[in-house]
Amino acid sequence: MGYLKYLAFRIVNALIVLLIVTFIISALFVRVAEESNRSKMYEELMLWERTEGAKIKQSQGLEAFEKAKAEKQKSLEEKYELNIPYWQKVYKKAVRTLKLDFGTTSMPIFGTNNVSDIIKVAVPRSILLFTTATIIVIILGIFLGVRAANNAGSVFDRALSIFALLTYSLPMWWTGMMFLLIFAFKLGWFPLSSMFDPQLTGWEHVKDVLWKLALPVFTYVFVVFGGWAWTTRNIMIGTLQEDFIMAARAKGVPENKVIYGHALRAAAPPIVTMIIFALLGSLGGAIISELVFNYPGMGRLYWVALQQNETNLLIGLTYFFTVLYLASVVLADMIYGFLDPRVKVGASAKM
Amino acid sequence: MRWVDVKEGLKEFLEEFKREKTGIAGVILLIVLVIVALTAPYTTMPDLPEKWRSSAYWEDNPKNVPPTWYNMFTSQKLVPQLVYYANDLKITHPSDTVTIIEADYTFPEGYILGPQGIIIRGLNVTLNAPSQIPTMDIYLLRPDGKKVPLLKNKQISSGTVISIGRDSAISTNIYIWLVNVTEGREITMFEVPLETILISDMMPPLFAKVEPGMNVSKIIEEPQPLWGDYKLVLKINNPAPKYNQVIYDNIKVSFLGRTYGTMGTDYLGRDLWAGIIWGSRVSLTIGVLVSVFSTLIGLVYGVTSAYLGGNADEFMMRINEIFSSIPSLPILILIGATWGHVTLWFIVVLLVIFGWMGIARISRSMALQIKEQTYIEAAKALGAGNGRIIFKHILPQLLPYAFAVIALSVPGAVIAEASLSFLGIGDPSAVTWGQILNAAQSQAATTKGYWWWVLPPGLAIAVVGLTFVLIGTALDKILNPRLRRL
Repeated sequence: MGYLKYLAFRIVNALIVLLIVTFIISALFVRVAEESNRSKMYEELMLWERTEGAKIKQSQGLEAFEKAKAEKQKSLEEKYELNIPYWQKVYKKAVRTLKLDFGTTSMPIFGTNNVSDIIKVAVPRSILLFTTATIIVIILGIFLGVRAANNAGSVFDRALSIFALLTYSLPMWWTGMMFLLIFAFKLGWFPLSSMFDPQLTGWEHVKDVLWKLALPVFTYVFVVFGGWAWTTRNIMIGTLQEDFIMAARAKGVPENKVIYGHALRAAAPPIVTMIIFALLGSLGGAIISELVFNYPGMGRLYWVALQQNETNLLIGLTYFFTVLYLASVVLADMIYGFLDPRVKVGASAKM
Repeated sequence: MRWVDVKEGLKEFLEEFKREKTGIAGVILLIVLVIVALTAPYTTMPDLPEKWRSSAYWEDNPKNVPPTWYNMFTSQKLVPQLVYYANDLKITHPSDTVTIIEADYTFPEGYILGPQGIIIRGLNVTLNAPSQIPTMDIYLLRPDGKKVPLLKNKQISSGTVISIGRDSAISTNIYIWLVNVTEGREITMFEVPLETILISDMMPPLFAKVEPGMNVSKIIEEPQPLWGDYKLVLKINNPAPKYNQVIYDNIKVSFLGRTYGTMGTDYLGRDLWAGIIWGSRVSLTIGVLVSVFSTLIGLVYGVTSAYLGGNADEFMMRINEIFSSIPSLPILILIGATWGHVTLWFIVVLLVIFGWMGIARISRSMALQIKEQTYIEAAKALGAGNGRIIFKHILPQLLPYAFAVIALSVPGAVIAEASLSFLGIGDPSAVTWGQILNAAQSQAATTKGYWWWVLPPGLAIAVVGLTFVLIGTALDKILNPRLRRL
């Protein structure tokens, strides 16, 4: 009973936040689009003045030219939607975005103009790269973290800690550049660009994809798993000092069961939260790392959209990122409330 | 809190900090970094950021060459940069109308290829009799006694820059000389294959073994280095010394190295070492400012929210959630890309706006516990106002924690700044590590193997990050006793 109420409260809360954020994003992007549209309009008007306008000026005089120019400007303003008040446009855009109607782009990307379709092409690619890498990171990180916590102070623990601190301060995209330099340029083991070859099909295609994914996945795992292991270790060290662990050991529970059955289970809520955020976050790709590897996923798509001034696509992508984050929050709350019954008491007591 | 307590607490803290080896290492690194950043104008040059953008300033440097110390790790050694000014050159006047300038150049044993080019500039000519313009002949005397005519009767004026290795007329002369020595015949400049001159590097043959009977294209493709003492001779004929004057005070002869300085050069010939040193200023400033401001704002925000409670708390936490839901990097890129002129302060403000939420949430939950303590109740009973309780009684409890958070959030801020300038969003009047990497990426440095251009900036970012992580984790360990067992 209390759990459902708590859940409903969290979902409604997330929806309200999503509503407000959508309006903020729309306001921001409409402003940017308006500026670029205005400059486009003036460009077109100048062009008209030099060609048709000059003809009218010659044949019908200055007065007719002024009149024609005003008319042309008005029609152009209509074309670029500059005659509609700003807030009205923001409102329209936000409502359409909330209805998942993102509109179209002016130039085709991945062979289509529909924003939803473009995103549908890019998301699986980001999943292929970043979700795969994230799963490897989670397994490796938790396993190594638990081992380090169990042998706290050992050489292995110290080495892991130092490695984690080192990789924590590395920009992932720079590490990618370095790995490209070492493994792709110097040693020639991997390709310099991770753009897929569209001509290949079947088994050849799978081989091509695997070969091109290897280096980005390796880079991601290399930079991220140390931090995971370190965080898991710190959580686990706290748990391993609890009295119930001592009690379990005292009554003769096997050590493996103490660690994975008792301690890891008690330490699960924060780790599960981290897993949810990492997994859902990985769907969004990574802007700069994808640029470095020339990988055609979500992050690179955002950059392309920005370069080509595709406001609709930008709004669609940003909305997607926001929904991912809020979904993670709700999911994390849900599982947290499930794993740790104390949490929902606070929220439902408030209601 | 009395002053004595603060002193006691600080002393105790310092005692504990001294025992943290990683923390001490972090502090030492930080001191080194701060010294490097502060002395940047003296160790490199005082106005680097202005010069960084002008490609003309770096003309006399070789382009895309590795650092000089790289020679220690390779058997095929590459010559370093060598620059002569008027004082280092031998300037003689055999007659009124002739001046001879000599530059000695030693091509040491074990090195390959010779210099990347030779650039001569800085001749000042005052011209009063335009019909009798001063002219210059240039030739190179080689250790095997051969003389290579590089330029004949070149008319000179004040702006004249002679660039051996980049000027195709000089390359043509080198080719003619090669044919003359190897085949013993004179060819005209029209017989010289143009594509060879334009595509191949004509400097190595100049410093290679050239004997009669050798194949010209073989010499160009696989030059065998001829080690020894070379002499570059500039012979200036001034037929009317009374009217036209040539002044040599500012002359500069640069033998472009195939290696350069401590960190090599980029595609414009810019000294990367100077750029790295200057970049530390921006990185440290932005990193520290962003983390201090966002931590303080988050702290005050979280504590206020917790203390006020009820609807105000709900409202403030909703705003916090809204900020954390906005995908920060895409929005930062959007704002930066459309803003126009971006200053360093603007970047600090942007990063703070999207950086305070996590700390606010944590400090709120900590303040919720402190709020229930009896001494807060006592303060309330004594009639203390909200502001007094928040700033005097709750915040000081969280301050130690704040220091650890500040240190630990510096790497994030440094990486965020570098990421933005890597995408070309940054203050154009500053030199930053992200911008150096941006240039490297746009010039495809990784696919050409220019490691000296890609490695140092990222390593520098990592060192700054590591410094603060080391300090932060040491602080965390002291303040968070659960981790202290180690």
